[in-house]
Amino acid sequence: MTNKANPEYEVLSPWAEADPIPFRGISPRLEGLAGKKIGLLRNTKRAASPIMNVIKRRIKERFPTAEITEFANLRPNEVIIEQEAKVEFEDWLKGVDAVITAFGD
Amino acid sequence: MYDSIVIEDRKKPTVTLVNNGFANDTESASRSKGMPVLRYIPTSVPCEASIMEDIEAGVDGAFEAMVTALTKPLTEEEKFPKPKEIEKPARIIFKGSLEEVNRFFYQRGWTDGFPIIPPTEEAVADMLTGTDLPPDHLLGKLESRLGKATIERIAINAVMAGALPTYMPVLIAGTKLLLESERGFMGFTTFGFSTGSWAPFWIINGPIRNEIHVNHSSGAFSPGNIANAAIGRAMGLIVKNIGGVRKGVEDMGVMGNPMKYSMVIAENEEESPWEPLHVEYGYKKEESTITVSYPQTYIQHWPYGSDAEGILRAVVDHIIRSMHYTIIFTPPHAKNLAREGWTKEDIKGFISGYARIPGSHFNNIPIIGGGRPGLYKGKISARDTDTVALIRDPRFIRIIVGGGPGAFIAHTVGGGATPGMKQTQKIELPSNWDKLAKKYKDIVPTYAKY
Repeated sequence: MTNKANPEYEVLSPWAEADPIPFRGISPRLEGLAGKKIGLLRNTKRAASPIMNVIKRRIKERFPTAEITEFANLRPNEVIIEQEAKVEFEDWLKGVDAVITAFGD
Repeated sequence: MYDSIVIEDRKKPTVTLVNNGFANDTESASRSKGMPVLRYIPTSVPCEASIMEDIEAGVDGAFEAMVTALTKPLTEEEKFPKPKEIEKPARIIFKGSLEEVNRFFYQRGWTDGFPIIPPTEEAVADMLTGTDLPPDHLLGKLESRLGKATIERIAINAVMAGALPTYMPVLIAGTKLLLESERGFMGFTTFGFSTGSWAPFWIINGPIRNEIHVNHSSGAFSPGNIANAAIGRAMGLIVKNIGGVRKGVEDMGVMGNPMKYSMVIAENEEESPWEPLHVEYGYKKEESTITVSYPQTYIQHWPYGSDAEGILRAVVDHIIRSMHYTIIFTPPHAKNLAREGWTKEDIKGFISGYARIPGSHFNNIPIIGGGRPGLYKGKISARDTDTVALIRDPRFIRIIVGGGPGAFIAHTVGGGATPGMKQTQKIELPSNWDKLAKKYKDIVPTYAKY
């Protein structure tokens, strides 16, 4: 602070430093969904299950040879791999070619 | 969203459907986890929708984009996203008048909307007299941004909030508590970010309450006491500026909550007939602690009478469906209850036993949350005559003593730790504490008579 009549303040930043998180890319896409195994992953929010039901119907209409399997993360706001369901989830994931997720928000 | 990132890390392509209003939140979440190019589709499906026409219309509107997201080849940026630039802010971030500093901070989203005290080198150095820890001491990295919670950064936010140096031990303990809070549904990692607008509610116990004048009596939750106002405010700024939790981006609280400005109370241990909260949680009476929960709502009501039946029947009748409850009794009510032989455990047992609703209310409600009845695991329907307890486990209830003259009872209602998980942190005092406390002890409001 300087001049009392017209004080000027030199201030520090409240915004914390953060180590840069290395960015990584996403996985290669499929050539098409026909004949593929599509996983549907949802949580427990009210809209999540009906959204998946509609998606399931639409995929079957559009890609009749696609196989669909479902998995639900039953613990709100917890990542599946930090839960007891991790093993079951990893097994399920190995059996699908792509995953559509919807969480009701 | 985080599950989608886990799936991509396992080399499976994903697409995530989100409500239109969650686009910013989705991008912030994926960037914070190192995957800024995650493919997601904003949809018109309303949040928590139950009307099938709306759901079908939203899915149909997004379906082509969803198929494309799973099949369109990746761009170079999606394969190898450009690294994030390292932030190297100057130590002096701005120079200007009081108004200019406030405008600069506000426009960067660093304030809570109220004017701030400029965090100058001098003011921050003064704040740091409230701790023995060096300015660069790192307590941890606060979600979601994983911002470094250094002592200096806590002090900067404390200055902005108008805190006194004697609050630093409380703010350091409060930050530790957030850092060590239970992960997942019952901790800060949910309640700081959720659509539920949960507000951190801080209870201070032990000798420090009186040394820094945290109000526990008349109008404890009302404005007018620096400690109650500035401790909660500073913690809010710490969450925002260190954790990077900003409303509408990471904090997706739908309605918001005025309790987020500051909700702090001390327990009136001197007039309580029971052991104080921190002693109940395993700390020594002469230790000071801070305890957190995340209420959504604050209720006040009269008792039906000043005896145990009048008090406790009224409490039970005002229990609403939620997860975690703090009941605040005035000293006279607490003494009347104790005189009739009621312990805190008895009271919790009574409330959890008698606050009941028809079991059929739960038949069509998803069972989530630790405080809700684990009703039949969805396998057995309730009969019309069945009732179930609103509070499954009495440990989801806290009892404290506070408030001024008068007969109101208060409840904070919302979220909080799973029983047995961390919700309290010991406050460590600096070696110069007695001298420091003495220096600031006279900073109390003195109201003129008129």
